[in-house]
Amino acid sequence: MSKRIVIDPVTRIEGHLRVEVIVENGVVVDAWTKGTMFRGLEQIIQGKDPRDAIYITERICGVCMASHGWTSAMAVETAHGAVIPSAARVIRNLMVGALWLHDHPLHFYHLSALDYLDVLAVKDYQGNDQNLLGVKAKIMKLVEGGDTAPLTPRYVPDDFSVKDPDTVITALSHYLQALHVQAKAKQMSAILGGKQPHQSSIIVGGVTVYPTDENINQFRQLLAEVVHFIKTVYIPDVIYFATGPLLPLAKAGIGKGPGNYLSYGAFDLDDSGKDKLYKSGFVSNGQIEAFNDAHITEAVTSAWYRNANPAHPWDGATDVNLDKSSAYTFIKAPRYKSLATEVGPLARMIVAGYEPYVKLTKEYGIKPGAVARHLARAQETMLVADQMFKWIKELEELLEEGKSSSLGRTKIHDTDSWEPPQSGKGAGLNEAPRGALGHWVEIQDKKVKNYQMVVPTTWNASPRDDKGVRGPLEQALIGLPVDENNPANVVRVIRSFDPCLACAVHVVSPKGEKLIQI
Amino acid sequence: MKKSLEDSAEKGYERLESRGVSRRDFLKLCSLSCVAFGLDLSVAPKMADAAAAKLMKKPVIWMQGQGCTGCSSSLLSSINPGPEKLLLELLSVRFHPTIMAAAGEQAVQSWEECVAEGNYLLVLEGSIPTRDPRFCTVEGQPFGELFKKAAANADLVIAAGSCACYGGIPRAGITGAVGAQDALKDTKVLNLPSCPVKPDRLISTILYYLGHNELPRLDNDGRPVAYYRYVLHDSCHRRLHYERGEFLSDWNDPKTSDWCLYNKGCKGKETFTNCSSYWWNDGVSYCGAVGSPCSGCSQPKFYEEFSPLFANPEEVK
Repeated sequence: MSKRIVIDPVTRIEGHLRVEVIVENGVVVDAWTKGTMFRGLEQIIQGKDPRDAIYITERICGVCMASHGWTSAMAVETAHGAVIPSAARVIRNLMVGALWLHDHPLHFYHLSALDYLDVLAVKDYQGNDQNLLGVKAKIMKLVEGGDTAPLTPRYVPDDFSVKDPDTVITALSHYLQALHVQAKAKQMSAILGGKQPHQSSIIVGGVTVYPTDENINQFRQLLAEVVHFIKTVYIPDVIYFATGPLLPLAKAGIGKGPGNYLSYGAFDLDDSGKDKLYKSGFVSNGQIEAFNDAHITEAVTSAWYRNANPAHPWDGATDVNLDKSSAYTFIKAPRYKSLATEVGPLARMIVAGYEPYVKLTKEYGIKPGAVARHLARAQETMLVADQMFKWIKELEELLEEGKSSSLGRTKIHDTDSWEPPQSGKGAGLNEAPRGALGHWVEIQDKKVKNYQMVVPTTWNASPRDDKGVRGPLEQALIGLPVDENNPANVVRVIRSFDPCLACAVHVVSPKGEKLIQI
Repeated sequence: MKKSLEDSAEKGYERLESRGVSRRDFLKLCSLSCVAFGLDLSVAPKMADAAAAKLMKKPVIWMQGQGCTGCSSSLLSSINPGPEKLLLELLSVRFHPTIMAAAGEQAVQSWEECVAEGNYLLVLEGSIPTRDPRFCTVEGQPFGELFKKAAANADLVIAAGSCACYGGIPRAGITGAVGAQDALKDTKVLNLPSCPVKPDRLISTILYYLGHNELPRLDNDGRPVAYYRYVLHDSCHRRLHYERGEFLSDWNDPKTSDWCLYNKGCKGKETFTNCSSYWWNDGVSYCGAVGSPCSGCSQPKFYEEFSPLFANPEEVK
């Protein structure tokens, strides 16, 4: 007996994702991930002033926008020959770091937690914590009012759902608290970026913002509040769930991907860019090796683009073809050394061999999979949270030093390299919250000739490649135990990747020709 | 007639209070809304009565077309009122892909039920492709068709953000992306352009609508006059330097850091928005405050016709 289950839309992710699985005897035997929305942003950038690229690619995704703006700046700056001043580097770290601090907790509480909590169990809370009783009253009023949207409808709580009233109500109170905290973290980005989402102060050659003392004080105050939540609520919660109620899922490695992990590395700790907060590398069969971007190729076999051989982003050619019969998605299939490869927090923690993560997983026998992804995401949030305070200090020192310079102020911009060059090429290789992010730009006659992006969800939600090998998320779904009538496990695994579909879908033609072929 | 409004307002307040929103909190929100729309504050209590009477009857369907989720994320960046209040207490969010618990069939069913019941607010985020319906589908169906179906039964259609209003950045691409007003043609659409939507505008406009049972005054581009009456240039703190012909050329130079950004491509002279008076993220900043030129993101011609964004207009000509 086999049954096809279609989940469309997959909610509580960014963008338009359709997932189809075949279930036989309660186990997934095949899977397809399908990106179902297309905008064509790379094509919009073609022929434009290269300085627009930062602004446009920022809008690829309204969740990890500053990561795109930053990575685009790296690519265009290489093409311009621009070198950003130290203060600009640190300001970017702070601005994008703040983005990570809102993004990771939001993913856990608001995008994922409802998959594991039987929310209505709060009715059985018998404790006398005033705050929790307040949460209980709030939820019970919704229930009594007959309107529990958007918490219902939902999949029926199953064996993997947490039903203990004390745990559920505590988690729910943190869900509400985290809503407030993520808005505060967004304010941090806005202080330096003008607004959030979609900051506007990262430009080619540096930043436009020279932070005032008031900016820095306000930023620091918010940071303290946000980091307090991260350290005392978010990280302990994830560890509690991963090593407690979800430990059976964690030990079984439910939702394991292909076992190949890639990180480009991110957050420069000095001007040379050699030392980074998140390390770069590729791990396959447990062996680590240095990352080399020459090993990246993209296949279009299963995507709605005209057929071509797998190619490096510099040489990629893709024309939309909506009638291609072998295709089922707008997402291309990037491969590293021809292997389906997972990117994101789990990949970063495995590549870096980050000790607190390794220690926890060994101690509890947690295997790579859906729960490990949540754990890795929480653990790496700690890294950036701690570093933020050091960056503020570094920025203050740079601003202070600048006061005795000839200009009377530290530099924030490479003004000499502001105008677009006649021609140039550049790549930006970076980590976004969801994983390895690459932008490639080629400039000709001071305009963008070619723009390519390979983004985290293109890696993770990629379809079958030219050899028929499934993408990481497709592989992660295979072997998953699923109740045909209540496919909660399928969405649990999908959401553990924190997919971002708007990012994943894009298209470009290196020759600059019109792309449409309908 | 008056009596029945009082009764239903009373019920509305009870329901609000049952959701944890005190009468006082709600009145405060309505006062904020009054300020935004330049109304006398004495109107606030009446507006609160009317809004309370109707608020709980207004479910929300939030649909995402060709977008980036930035407008949803922006809604969640509101601090006063906070997202918790919005999502659980003030609105009945029946369909919102980023927030709702349900997925797949259940989510579609929620949408269908709400559409069948009618009387809801429909918010669009992102644009709608017209070149080929396959550029955006949900549950295998063309997004544009689903949106039109939802719009037909909606009390009010709100286009949140520039993509939903006029096509925004996607309009410059190959998919024939348009905003709600072009997709719907005969239906009145409330436009709240900017990239992303500014959350206080969205929230205040909803409150105004519920309080007055009509749209606030709109300009020719479907935008509430309260927010889009003047160009950014009019209230820019760099304006004086513009008049003096003082233009920033090097972001490093401390002597010129508050000079006019026109030569860096600023579109503030032709962009109708109150960003420079009402800052973003609950008032912490906006583009001009961090030295960044206005991109014109709330104008119908954004983005394509404003490109290049950072070039000196004198040199582009």
